[in-house]
Amino acid sequence: MTNPFPARVPRRTFLRAAGVALALPLLDALAPRRARAASAGGVPRRMVCINTPLGVYPPHFFPGTAGRDYELSPYLEVLKDFRDDFTVISGLSHPDVGPSHDSNQSFLTAAPHPERRAGFKNSISLDQFAAEHIFGQTRFATLPLTCEGLSLSWTRSGAPVPADSWPSNVFARLFLDGRPDEVRAQARRLADGKSILDMIRGQAERLEPSLGAADREKLDEYFTSVRELEQRLAQADAWSKKPRPRVDRTPPVNVQNSADLIGKTRLWFDLIHLALQTDSTRLITLQLLGTSSVPPIPGVSQGHHDLSHHGQDPAKIGQLRILELEKMKSLRDFLAQLSATREDGESLLDRTMVFFSSNLGDASKHSAKNMPVLLAGGGFKHGQHLAFDENDHPPLCNLFVSMLQRMGIESDTFGSSTGTLRGLEAHPGRGSS
Amino acid sequence: MAGWRKRVGFWTSIGVMLLGCSAGAAPPPTADAAADVRQFDDQFRPLLARYCVGCHRGDEPRGDLRLDNLAPDFADADVRGRWSAVVERLRAGEMPPPEKPRPQASEVEALTDWLAARVAAADASARAAQGRVVLRRLNRVEYENTLRDLLGIEVQLKDQLPADGSADGFDNAGAAHHTSSFLLEKYLEAADAALNMAIANRPHAPPVIAKRYSMKDVHPVRSTTESVYRFLDDGEVVCFCSSEWHNVWVSGFYPADAGTYRFRIWASGFQSAGRPVTFRVTETGSRLTGTSGLVGYFDAPPGDPTVFEVVRHMEPRTTISMLPYGLAGANTVKQVGAEAWVGPGLAIRSVEVEGPLHDSWPPESHRRLFGDLKQETFGIENARDRVEVVSGQPLADAERILRAFTRRAFRRTVTDDDIAPFMAVVRAGLEAGDRFEPAMRAALKGVLISPEFLFLRERPGKLDDFALACRLSYFLWSTMPDEELFTLAGQQTLGRPEVLRQQVERMLAHPGAAAFTQNFVGQWLGLREIDATEPSHLLYPEFDHLLKVSMIREAELFFDEVLRRDLSLASFVDCDFTMLNGRLARHYGIPGVDGWEFQKAPLPPDSHRGGVLTMAGVLKVTANGTTTSPVLRGAWVLDRILGTPAPPPPDDVEAIDPDIRGGTTIREQLDKHRSVESCGVCHRKIDPPGFALESFDCIGGWRENYRVTGNGETVIVDGRRMPYLKGKTVDASGVLADGERFENIDQFKQLLLRDKPQLARALTAKLIAYATGQAPQATDREALEAIVAKIGTKDYGLRSLIHEIVQSEFFRNK
Repeated sequence: MTNPFPARVPRRTFLRAAGVALALPLLDALAPRRARAASAGGVPRRMVCINTPLGVYPPHFFPGTAGRDYELSPYLEVLKDFRDDFTVISGLSHPDVGPSHDSNQSFLTAAPHPERRAGFKNSISLDQFAAEHIFGQTRFATLPLTCEGLSLSWTRSGAPVPADSWPSNVFARLFLDGRPDEVRAQARRLADGKSILDMIRGQAERLEPSLGAADREKLDEYFTSVRELEQRLAQADAWSKKPRPRVDRTPPVNVQNSADLIGKTRLWFDLIHLALQTDSTRLITLQLLGTSSVPPIPGVSQGHHDLSHHGQDPAKIGQLRILELEKMKSLRDFLAQLSATREDGESLLDRTMVFFSSNLGDASKHSAKNMPVLLAGGGFKHGQHLAFDENDHPPLCNLFVSMLQRMGIESDTFGSSTGTLRGLEAHPGRGSS
Repeated sequence: MAGWRKRVGFWTSIGVMLLGCSAGAAPPPTADAAADVRQFDDQFRPLLARYCVGCHRGDEPRGDLRLDNLAPDFADADVRGRWSAVVERLRAGEMPPPEKPRPQASEVEALTDWLAARVAAADASARAAQGRVVLRRLNRVEYENTLRDLLGIEVQLKDQLPADGSADGFDNAGAAHHTSSFLLEKYLEAADAALNMAIANRPHAPPVIAKRYSMKDVHPVRSTTESVYRFLDDGEVVCFCSSEWHNVWVSGFYPADAGTYRFRIWASGFQSAGRPVTFRVTETGSRLTGTSGLVGYFDAPPGDPTVFEVVRHMEPRTTISMLPYGLAGANTVKQVGAEAWVGPGLAIRSVEVEGPLHDSWPPESHRRLFGDLKQETFGIENARDRVEVVSGQPLADAERILRAFTRRAFRRTVTDDDIAPFMAVVRAGLEAGDRFEPAMRAALKGVLISPEFLFLRERPGKLDDFALACRLSYFLWSTMPDEELFTLAGQQTLGRPEVLRQQVERMLAHPGAAAFTQNFVGQWLGLREIDATEPSHLLYPEFDHLLKVSMIREAELFFDEVLRRDLSLASFVDCDFTMLNGRLARHYGIPGVDGWEFQKAPLPPDSHRGGVLTMAGVLKVTANGTTTSPVLRGAWVLDRILGTPAPPPPDDVEAIDPDIRGGTTIREQLDKHRSVESCGVCHRKIDPPGFALESFDCIGGWRENYRVTGNGETVIVDGRRMPYLKGKTVDASGVLADGERFENIDQFKQLLLRDKPQLARALTAKLIAYATGQAPQATDREALEAIVAKIGTKDYGLRSLIHEIVQSEFFRNK
């Protein structure tokens, strides 16, 4: 195997990105246009939300100085070629989300007190909220992905939206038409699904009258889900009659080593790039891996979770740094792919907001405050460190509202927001044509 | 200890709904809500305004409890819960805080009695209308088990379904379950997968493989360049190393078809000085989390090969692999070479595989659905001999099949109305030109996604016999009732106390009861989280997979033993025996137990073990891989053992930043923390149990000193220098909130045992939560106390407790 962790932006990344673009001669002109006509402002806007669940060692991530002339931190140094394409933000967090790994569940929802477990009820996540507004414009309304474990996406009722864990399956759903018998079986499943759901919906009246309020609420949730699934199946049916975008790529081979967090991350980033480029979806969430096993990275001999509980041991912090630098490099290469891909004369990065953060601000003590936040692309005036006081800061949801508005969604509130994020402005010349 | 013995401490803990109902001399609640509001405004609101609202007001009220605008609207469950919290805090004398002005005791009593009476009345009427328990959906474990038993198939579906939410510590609580369109979509897919498995579309059984594999030809024996295997003349292969990458695969066996296969492994200990060599068998392609992926550990005696037989369901394109345990590393062996190596090894002569095993064709699952209906060939591209069930009288057959299927799927008697919608699906399919089997599959799928299948329907009041049968079987088996339960329910005799008792005895003796142990103990003791952290290799080089699975088994087997022999649940706090195998005995420093097999072992008086608190599994899940926290362990003991969970920490408090460099201990850090008065209030209760457990490290080993990486003395074990250093001395002493001192864990356990009723109350509440999907609330105080009193007369036997719960109103009513 060749070195999976090249120190510089690998040339093949650009080549690969270019290769895909070449293999998609019709893409730019044809595929997204139909969708675009319907989207606000005519420009397709996209959002990728990434959570790295074991935090990022704060002293290596946050810059020491604020403003536009801030000095790059060791981790941000990796992204220096994209300095003007991202904003780093310190001090933000969700109010009422306490210190615990459970804060993962509130990462994109801001639902209060997941750490108390008792009585916790989740709420809709940022991507699903956005999907309600741009439903139907792309083959897949959203694409929740995970390297392992929990999804970042949640429904209005607080149920998890299952995330795909296998790139090969997602590739097949996005790009492969399947053998004739598979196509027939799929059509059959859709038809059966529709008639079954129709029949089930008819039973609501028969079942509900005898129930108390709390039970009725549960059944209402069920029947609402039936109706929503009917709508989704109708969409899937409509899209199934349109050809899938063709990509000149062999399907990805899933990473077999479950501890290989960097390999898994890179595979997802490649596929996300492809999904965005083909306008298969505009809303993606990605949960990265926080494994207890030892990742195959030279210089790392302990599991990621173990290293994150470094207990101030310099040797552990040293290994954590090696590991997290590799993660930052994978992010850098992803930004490079988006940046090198053109759409309507603009870079895909300018039309794609990449939100990279962690539900833990300081994993060593499970703190959920001062989350490491990086927002790249999407046509904002980047190139700055927005520094907030971690004890007196706007809610992270203010950033989410800024992102929603940039998606062209006219919403003033989301979760615990009190407005848009001050200091973050749209770039007049980018992503707005 | 008094702080814990006080009942109120327990009651403040049960969930959010805290109700006080010792109404005493309280005036009866008026039916007139308007009068209540007037009385509240005149009499009590000024009192609250004077003593409480100063802190409990505005957008960020203290304790997250806002009183300036809380209306006396007891019909609203949420508002009722808040008032209950007020009552409990006032009655416990916790509020207002000591440094603030307090109202007269008589004023407090008037207020709490008035509130409690109204809360109780509103609660009783809500109960009457809705029942105690919220409608439960099958969780993913129950869903998989139910499909398995309904259809008669071995199928793995739960990993395709999203994880279920939990409440009261268990994932079978209806209140925490939410349904989404995504979940329904997964159910549709799962139903397809299950029906594909149950229904045979092949004309013949898949060919049975019966083969003997020599280990000379398998991966990595054949392909490795490292000299770690010795080849004996009679074809045996000796494996000398325990390095993971020398896990020996039966790589010739890689079945195309899922099914049940029989494996016979011929193996013996080699150069093992007369002792057995333990080895592990795992399923390839699955991760070794918890006990999943593990086929088992076995002890191979020296001498002639012993045969180890395993019958197991295998997914397509998977196989098994074997790895000796506790032998040298590959790098050590290869320096000497396998030919010259004199250390112990595992000799494997061969592995025989036979399967897929079928009793008949089409399989039982197929005949259970379709009986003897004929099959005809309807070939498709990649399966020209594909067969389908056909029918000469499709509607009559459909009705017969659906009636039998829905009865079991809905777990009750069914009427024409129940099956009409599914018949409509069949009819619509046939009219649209579908053949019989596809039309039937659509209808069966409809049954499997129907709310009557997915939810446990219970009506307010006393449960009917079918709902009772479901409660029993999901409680003790985590699956649907069997035919005997259905029959008793049909005869309406299940509800008789003596019948219930017989059934509980029968069910506990049944292999299905393993699900109760796994799911209850796995959540009560948190063992499902065993893989949440991997112990640091530097600090805990001795941690290995065998130790991990042994930890889980110890807790499960101990629970089984207490349950089987109806031992006192005080055994969970201290006990003179435990269940050990060789690995765990070595970990605990107890001599005389060898090999993988577990045995009931008496504990020496100085072992510091006995009971669940000092089990390695519990000690591991309450630590992370690097440090232990007395706060987390203390909070765990309060919640799981004493049933008095600590309130959540205030939002503005940061956790302590652990430090393993050796300069400071966690206790020294905590002492600073506790000297802050506002923290001390709770931490005086939380920390002491955690201090007692400081004698145990992150993997449950006994320690006198901390293991550190920065400053400390060198540690030598068995002549080898350890990667960690000896740090400061552990101090496991403490003072309980009531002033009782303990020097160590042994004394601490004895202090816990002073109050057995409290231990019983705690475990009873957990068991009721698990058995019914809803923890008892304060309204249930008397009913719960009645159970505690009854089992008090039976020395708090665990089996007696299960019987009492099943016979109680908690279990018999919705």
